[in-house]
Amino acid sequence: MSKAATFLNSQVGRKIATGVTGFGLVLFIIVHLLGNLAYFAGAEAINTYSHTLHQLGPLLWIVRLGLLLFFVYHAWLGISIWLERRKARPDKYEMYASRGGASRQSWSSSSMILTGILLLLFVITHLNTFAFHDFEKAIHGGVEMHDVHARLSEVFAQPIYTIYYVVIMVLLGMHLRHGVWSAFQSLGWMSSKTNPIIYSIAFVLALIIAAGFIGLPLSIYFELV
Amino acid sequence: MSDQTMTIHLKIWRQKDKNSPGKLVDYTVDDANPDMSFLELLDWLNERLMNEGREPVEFDHDCREGICGSCNLVLNGMAHGPMQGTAVCQLHMRKYKDGDTIVVEPWRARAFPHIKDLVVDRSALDRIMAAGGYISVNTGAPADANAIPINKYDADLAFDYAACIGCGACVAACPNSSASLFTGAKIAQLAHLPQGHPERKKRVVSMVDKMADEGFGDCSNYAECEAVCPAEISITSIAEMRREYFKALSEIE
Repeated sequence: MSKAATFLNSQVGRKIATGVTGFGLVLFIIVHLLGNLAYFAGAEAINTYSHTLHQLGPLLWIVRLGLLLFFVYHAWLGISIWLERRKARPDKYEMYASRGGASRQSWSSSSMILTGILLLLFVITHLNTFAFHDFEKAIHGGVEMHDVHARLSEVFAQPIYTIYYVVIMVLLGMHLRHGVWSAFQSLGWMSSKTNPIIYSIAFVLALIIAAGFIGLPLSIYFELV
Repeated sequence: MSDQTMTIHLKIWRQKDKNSPGKLVDYTVDDANPDMSFLELLDWLNERLMNEGREPVEFDHDCREGICGSCNLVLNGMAHGPMQGTAVCQLHMRKYKDGDTIVVEPWRARAFPHIKDLVVDRSALDRIMAAGGYISVNTGAPADANAIPINKYDADLAFDYAACIGCGACVAACPNSSASLFTGAKIAQLAHLPQGHPERKKRVVSMVDKMADEGFGDCSNYAECEAVCPAEISITSIAEMRREYFKALSEIE
């Protein structure tokens, strides 16, 4: 095997790769969230934002391809670590409990595989709802562009989709609560001093991201914007 | 010694050998003393069993003062029982209430093959150590003490990591059965000492490889290992192992 393959297949390399791809996806999510907030500034703002992204041409495709690779690789690593775990303890404990204290076992860390798989399925439906949608056209400043504003308003007027989206964003918050802290630990950026600080920052970040994504659909559904 | 006695109900994993099925068997000790250690409670039970001509419960033990790493029991689902920073030999019955039920199981992991009852084979940990958890020194007269200056910060950290007694509780408690805390502690200890530097790259690569070869699982940063470690080793040792591995890229084949 080549050096890179050996590294990526080692237990440490797999964690480092999970952390790096995780950070990349978090960065994307933050940019995505900031983009969503343009809805609050009105139809012209969000439609122009979307139009500007599409004008990037090849650069946009490079980012999309990179994102797809990160996403698939991150999911594959998570699933393979989970499968490995089942092999590593063929005989289960009759009784198992967390000691608490320094333990980071929680509703967030213990459900990473579940929240991860649900997020994976969500992304597929989400791309179908928005990215692959045949948008109506809107004209702003004499330029014809996709009417993203109208599509958002239409989708989040539906109670079922709104509930589905809100639930998934709560799961995203749960995934990030352990994921962000864990990525720092996986990349070795951790000392006994920084550990509690980063653990707290991860919680705040997860909360802000989940609340940010939940804010838009609820605002549309309850006609606050 | 306390004059009081207490009744303790035990559900102990009994298994004749690796190939036989095991199960939890109920025992009741109705005259346990609060000053007994948990292992002494098992001794007490075993004396009764032997007097009755029954097979005693096999369990690992040696120093019984919390430093050898031999004892390895999972009590009510927690490696070494409920006390923080305590090996199960140092757990005393006064921590329990009269009438309590305690489920007693062996370490469970593919890398720790079962031997009998509560005894498992932990030699996989020795083999990780043999893969690089040492420093090579020339034979001859011992080196002068204090000949190599080491700053206080690194000396203290190395000492904290060196506290590992190799019991394997980290593996037993880990939902993934990972040996990262055990391996990380040794790598981090030697990484902080000048004596460890000549072999540091080779060490981390071969010890990390060995960990996977022996069948231990991946780490998912649950930190349950730190919570159960009788030597209270921090998961920062695992972060250090990852840094060391990254720095050792040139040594990877």
